[in-house]
Amino acid sequence: MKDTPLEIGRAAPRFDAYAKLTGKEKYASDFYAPDMLWAGVKRAGVPHARIRWIKTDDAIRIPGVLSVLTSKDVRGTNRQGVVRKDQPVLADDKVRHCGDPLALVVAEDRETLAKALASISLDIEPLPGVFDPENAMAQGAPLVHEENPEGNLLLKGSLEAGMGEKGFEECDETVEALFRLPSQEHAYLETEAGWAIFKDDILEITASTQSPFRDRYEAAEAIGFDMHKVRIIAPYCGGAFGGKDGITVQSLLGLAALNNPGRPVKMWWAREESILASAKRHPARLYYKLGAKKDGIFHALSVRIYFDTGPYDNLGGAVTALGLEHSGGPYRIPNTSLKAWAVFTNNPIGGPFRGFGVPQVTAAMEQTVDMMAKSLGISPLDIRVKNALRRGDRNPAGTTLTGSTGIGECLRKISASRLWQESETWKKASPPFKKRGAGLASAMQGMGYGPLIPDTANAKIELTQEGLFRVFCGVVDMGQGNASTYLQIAGEILNQGLSGMELVLPDTARTLPSGSSSASRTTFTYGNALITASKTMKKRLLERASDLLMAKGPEEMTLVPGRVRHIPSGKEMPLSALAGILSDAERTSVARYRTPSAKDSPTRDPNLSLHGIPHIVFSYAAHAAFVEVDTLTGLTEVKGFLAVTDCGRVLNPQIFEQQIQGGIAQGLGYALCEELKTDRGVIRTPDLGTYIIPTSIDLPDMESAAVELHEEMGPFGLKGAGEIAMNGPFAAVANAIADACGIRIFEGPMTPERVLGALEKKPSCQEEG
Amino acid sequence: MRRVFLANNTNELWDMLRQYPEAAIYAGGTDLLVRMRKGICDPSALICLERMDCLKGVREEGDQIFIGACTSHTALLADPIVQRSFPVLAAAISRLGSPHIRNMGTIGGNIVTASPAGDTLPPLYILGAAVEIMSMDKTRRLSLADFIRGPGHTDLKPGEILAGVWIKKDQPYNIFSLEKVGQRKALAISIASLAALLRVSGEGIIEEARLAWGSVGPTVTVSKEAESFLAGKRPEPGALGEAARIAMDAVSPIDDVRASKSYRRLVSGNLVLRLGASVDGNSPQPAWLPPAD
Repeated sequence: MKDTPLEIGRAAPRFDAYAKLTGKEKYASDFYAPDMLWAGVKRAGVPHARIRWIKTDDAIRIPGVLSVLTSKDVRGTNRQGVVRKDQPVLADDKVRHCGDPLALVVAEDRETLAKALASISLDIEPLPGVFDPENAMAQGAPLVHEENPEGNLLLKGSLEAGMGEKGFEECDETVEALFRLPSQEHAYLETEAGWAIFKDDILEITASTQSPFRDRYEAAEAIGFDMHKVRIIAPYCGGAFGGKDGITVQSLLGLAALNNPGRPVKMWWAREESILASAKRHPARLYYKLGAKKDGIFHALSVRIYFDTGPYDNLGGAVTALGLEHSGGPYRIPNTSLKAWAVFTNNPIGGPFRGFGVPQVTAAMEQTVDMMAKSLGISPLDIRVKNALRRGDRNPAGTTLTGSTGIGECLRKISASRLWQESETWKKASPPFKKRGAGLASAMQGMGYGPLIPDTANAKIELTQEGLFRVFCGVVDMGQGNASTYLQIAGEILNQGLSGMELVLPDTARTLPSGSSSASRTTFTYGNALITASKTMKKRLLERASDLLMAKGPEEMTLVPGRVRHIPSGKEMPLSALAGILSDAERTSVARYRTPSAKDSPTRDPNLSLHGIPHIVFSYAAHAAFVEVDTLTGLTEVKGFLAVTDCGRVLNPQIFEQQIQGGIAQGLGYALCEELKTDRGVIRTPDLGTYIIPTSIDLPDMESAAVELHEEMGPFGLKGAGEIAMNGPFAAVANAIADACGIRIFEGPMTPERVLGALEKKPSCQEEG
Repeated sequence: MRRVFLANNTNELWDMLRQYPEAAIYAGGTDLLVRMRKGICDPSALICLERMDCLKGVREEGDQIFIGACTSHTALLADPIVQRSFPVLAAAISRLGSPHIRNMGTIGGNIVTASPAGDTLPPLYILGAAVEIMSMDKTRRLSLADFIRGPGHTDLKPGEILAGVWIKKDQPYNIFSLEKVGQRKALAISIASLAALLRVSGEGIIEEARLAWGSVGPTVTVSKEAESFLAGKRPEPGALGEAARIAMDAVSPIDDVRASKSYRRLVSGNLVLRLGASVDGNSPQPAWLPPAD
């Protein structure tokens, strides 16, 4: 079995499944050693305050406490961030949200650590806070960063096409609405964790992270240590979803280890600490106005979006820009005026989360599309098909689509599906006190970093002395299965099975920089680099083997599992024998790939380009949700869900299906129950007992199909599949509720209470069809 | 360091309680350990009852059934007596927590925690359950309604433990309904719930109704007024609607992070409307009880 050559397109269990299911795979949080120390953080607990004094003397006197560190002990810039470096490792002048870290304690064990943290007292002067993104931009609002010349504004972006707002003058019908979307917690199984050791002048940090190479530079600069002496090791993450795309424990662990040389130090946030301190999906407020001609052809779109980024950038500018770029959905709209603001507040930190700003805008746009369909008396499916983007069109952000564009095909597949065809009959058979409805949503997701930040991967593959192919994976597998796919890619090219391959997970000392595991770019970018590296390796092996076996040339040679064969004579040579003859340099192949960028310039604003606009490769999806609403309790149950996805060629259908189902599950949580509630910056849902994620029995059976258009830039025709499924569920469910009951819930999530409230308010004579 | 004691029998238990009168007593720990982790309580010692076999199991005694306080929810769900005689209780337990919580948690714990949202409480109220309380020198019995004094408060005195619950075996009802409204289908704390037992005549007239609401007051809410209003009526929208209005006046819910007061009140009434569907056999949780022998 393990000798069977890996092939592209074959459904196969991911190769990491066995080690993970049996507990053999070690995550960053799994590390233990006899002399291990524990590090932990004292957090502010108030949303906005000036720090006068942090009293640490009681803590340091507790036996078993080794260090109590504050910002004064941070020798570097004490600032972290990817685009804007504004987040302190340990807060110095001010507290900007409840989760800000003020002191770092290192102790012999967890009990002593807890006691020491409790003994630290804070002398802080509370400041008026700002908790609403629109109020935050008003004159006189309290400032989160006094030094920011733009007040509480992090980023403002604007895209205009055609006649912009003037396009509405030519429209027959206009619909508008305001949508409010909640903050969403990542809730990964493995909370933020890692361990570090400072030994032989090297600071080694093992962390649950999506971005080891960037962390190395970011942490080194923040804590003031030579980057070249920092090594970051990134095991598989126990989930990340964007929440580990950046620094969580890394700098703190570095500080803790530097102050306690020779001993391993571990940090592992409790669930409550994770919810308090980690970044979340940005709460958003979206004003949408869509105009169309009588025949349902979209003509104008005006959008104003406010993203609450909390107190720090944390890629919030980039999230906002991606939301802005996707705000018009996968439609042809000639006249657009799209505006977005990312605003600082004293709420929890907004940051990257699967979809990266796109789930918010899709929730709003796709509901607006249904409102237009209803206004014009056109079916929600027809209006989407009519306006769906085709290759060669410009998208609402003004980018020419030069690659595969499968949204139309996705919608046609929904229309032809059994679930959709039978939905009218199913809806009519609803039981007492229940109303059934079906809803659609289209979605798209751009891939990669955009035009300015090089979206690059460096692949490396080695033929070991034992005759195995070792793939050096420089980009993290946070659970999505990309590492497994890398072996599949190399196995396909080199005709090897799993038993002939090895994998090295990201390690700044062993693998090559390949960017973050994010932006639906991971397999696309690294996969393309690995294809070149593997082909180069194959060519060299066949050439050298053909010389050694006195063949006429490499065209007579082929690789088979564990061996190279001379086809005419049938003579074979074990790869281990070939490896023994080759020099070290010949046994290694490296290749670099950079994702091309769009050639349009939809914006002259260099800041927007820096934040990623425009993208060139997009995945697409059409989703259909089938819901049953209980009119007595307001509970919405999703009874069926269909996702049709265009993410190019599917390399391993099992991994693809897992990504789609996971995205739908997270999207349904976002739609129906997940809501990080805050009251003046204080989280009211501090644990998983109050922050409600769906359980398996809250989720429907999901059907998933792929529209496997070939994307010529993609590795074997692939486009990214990691995020796209997150975008559709919210609007598909909202549209299904509207179909069922004639109500629309403009504030998410659509909890039973909100649905029942809307049902109570609805005059019963105005029921929607 | 906190001491943890595991009592194997009552003699050991009374010894431990004498030595550590301040100890917190628990069985599965699904409530207490969570509260300790949150820092809500910090008992100096713990006494665990999970090894006390004398407090486990379901047995018949005359016309009564005794359920030992340390019987786990999972054991109750599997118990043929509970399934046959008290399906309304089984239905409530099946919605309690999740399989792993039901494996650890016990009926005694659910009662003693006395949460307004305790899932077993509304069915136990309408089944007329009584609790048996044991101390070193005596045993006493009182009705569950008298035992539960308020949120988190019971009539349990120092040196006493809850030994179990007595429920009359033959209940004069032929219809039950149990509905729990939570934020999700499992691992959910009730926002509002309604347990109902009805005796409906062959002609479709409600002869007797017992109704109890959970999570909409400091303790379980009952409404004699709604019950007597329904008696003699058909379970039709008009009568149920009036009973729902009575119910909405009877409950006294609060706002919390899970739901608002007004939602809880509205749903308390709306759940009554579904009783008609239970009688018709269309509800997701309807069932006919076997005829009383």
